[in-house]
Amino acid sequence: MKSGFLSVSGAAKTFGAATVLDGVDLSMGRGEFISLLGPSGCGKTTLLRIVAGLMTPDQGKVALDGEDITRRPPHRRDVSVVFQNYALFPHLSVAENVAFGLKARGAAKDAIAPAVTKYLGLVQMSAFAGRSIKALSGGQQQRVAVARALAVGPKLLLLDEPFSALDRKLREAMQIDLKRILREVGTTAIFVTHDQDEALTMSDRIAVMHRGRIEQLGTPAEIYHSPATPFALGFVGLSTQLPGKVVRAADGMVEIETAAGPIRARANFIPGSAVLVGVRPERIAIGEAKANRIEAALADAAFQGARVQLHFAAPAGGQILAEAPILPAQAGPGTRLDLSWDVEDTLVYPAPDLAA
Amino acid sequence: MSKAGRFDPVLLLAVPAVLYLALVYGIPLLVLLGRSMLAGGAPSLAPFIGFFSDGFSWIVIGNTIRIAVLVTLLCLVIGYPTALALARAKGLAQALILVAIILPLSVGVVVKAFAWQIVLRRDGVVSQIMTGIGLWDEPQRLLFTEAGLVIGAANVFVPFMILPIYSVLKLIDPRLGEAAATLGASPVYRFFKVALPLSLPGIVTGIAFVFSMAASMYVIPNLLIGDRFQTLATMTGRSFLFMRNEQLGSTTAVVLLVLTVAVVVASAALSKRLGGAS
Repeated sequence: MKSGFLSVSGAAKTFGAATVLDGVDLSMGRGEFISLLGPSGCGKTTLLRIVAGLMTPDQGKVALDGEDITRRPPHRRDVSVVFQNYALFPHLSVAENVAFGLKARGAAKDAIAPAVTKYLGLVQMSAFAGRSIKALSGGQQQRVAVARALAVGPKLLLLDEPFSALDRKLREAMQIDLKRILREVGTTAIFVTHDQDEALTMSDRIAVMHRGRIEQLGTPAEIYHSPATPFALGFVGLSTQLPGKVVRAADGMVEIETAAGPIRARANFIPGSAVLVGVRPERIAIGEAKANRIEAALADAAFQGARVQLHFAAPAGGQILAEAPILPAQAGPGTRLDLSWDVEDTLVYPAPDLAA
Repeated sequence: MSKAGRFDPVLLLAVPAVLYLALVYGIPLLVLLGRSMLAGGAPSLAPFIGFFSDGFSWIVIGNTIRIAVLVTLLCLVIGYPTALALARAKGLAQALILVAIILPLSVGVVVKAFAWQIVLRRDGVVSQIMTGIGLWDEPQRLLFTEAGLVIGAANVFVPFMILPIYSVLKLIDPRLGEAAATLGASPVYRFFKVALPLSLPGIVTGIAFVFSMAASMYVIPNLLIGDRFQTLATMTGRSFLFMRNEQLGSTTAVVLLVLTVAVVVASAALSKRLGGAS
């Protein structure tokens, strides 16, 4: 499955003095759903445009289904795009929009109508076939855009933040719908988003992008539980982060001195290394006695329904947060609580270079 | 939609323009119409019946429409690609094209006429090029011909075709072309199925501008083709200035007015319908 159906190698792109894409490699299998996740300006949309053929990389290659398509124009790539603003043709009806790609490819007339019916049905927009695009809501336009992109039977479907303009409820419904539709059609897809929840919910694998590079490519669980870099730790999910210095190292174990106290972890660093310690909030127990223990003063508690998120006063350059089903009894701002977690749940990274 | 039937006070902003046009244009026009119909003392259609029963009048109407249509077509053929390039251009290139389009408007028609004489005479630039590349067997004079008139008039009016088309093209979302491309549409297919239909309102506006100006031009035919060739506009001018025939002049003026108003109103209606679809 993870063979190179789509393979991007060494893709680089600069605009003037700005390096937007800094040598990106990405390989994905047929039928796979990969999200490119990162903040705005990380290069994810540039990478998508290069794969679509809407932009040519300065360096690197793009191959799809065994063919080098690096310099092939977009209309001969078999790569459909669902754009952020939908980009539906305003002068055409819903059905004409869905039929556009088939007509452009010179499909037989009697093959077009059944395909339009099929894909409008798939996105539950059959009742709107004759409507004008302008008469549709944002969510409906989104469905038509997906049907239009899928109707040509593309080898690869690219989605550029397609749900960012929708309200939260509709967005979540569309995420589930899109997954169902892509499963039914069996389409290989790349999904660009800056929304980590969206990426975690929908993807087979996630590529976390930062400053024109892919920092980590892995399953949502891998990304969440074993983030490869401090950026992945910080961008995906919440975490406690404490800067420190390795004071002892032996047998794959290190002892780290932090402002909150000594912390032990499984890692290989030479003594004296500046490091960053990370822990996911749900791994931290309150008032128990696990291997790594610190004491911290409660600063703020955010009620989130099923859980309460607890923020603690943290040493410079760090943050401490934990989660609990309910607010601990008699706890208020300033209350000092015992926080502890297992050695196995302790993540250690080389201290991020703040200047970079 | 919910405001239908209710008066929008913003419409009052049009009052100064309406008053101005009524004073300097509408009222004199009514006087003109009155002169042509009240010539015998009582209202009568006799001047129009007389005009339309004269064979020469039909030649003049034919001349007017033919020249206006040819000028409009030439402007469209030259103007559309220019508008397309202008909408795509950025920064300095765009500024240069815009200057090249708009600057000639500041050069008077009389000055242009001297330039045309250089270009259109028997040993002029056009004639030399055409014989040079072998399309013409011998040098020909374009000056004082209908072809010369069409070329000269299009030269004056082409900005009025380019600018409305450009302003519509500029507003088309570039993602639409990209979406069409990723759906498998070739550049030519994209142009005919996306850019062209979406720019129709601009084309219609440009046609209305150029047609009405070309149908009513007076100075350009005088300079480029002379008295032997009459259009409704030159005939109106001759009637008032040389023949002192106010009745004929007002009649031809009214016929010309009806003709251009019909084209402008029809194109406005067409534009509204096309605009409603985009």
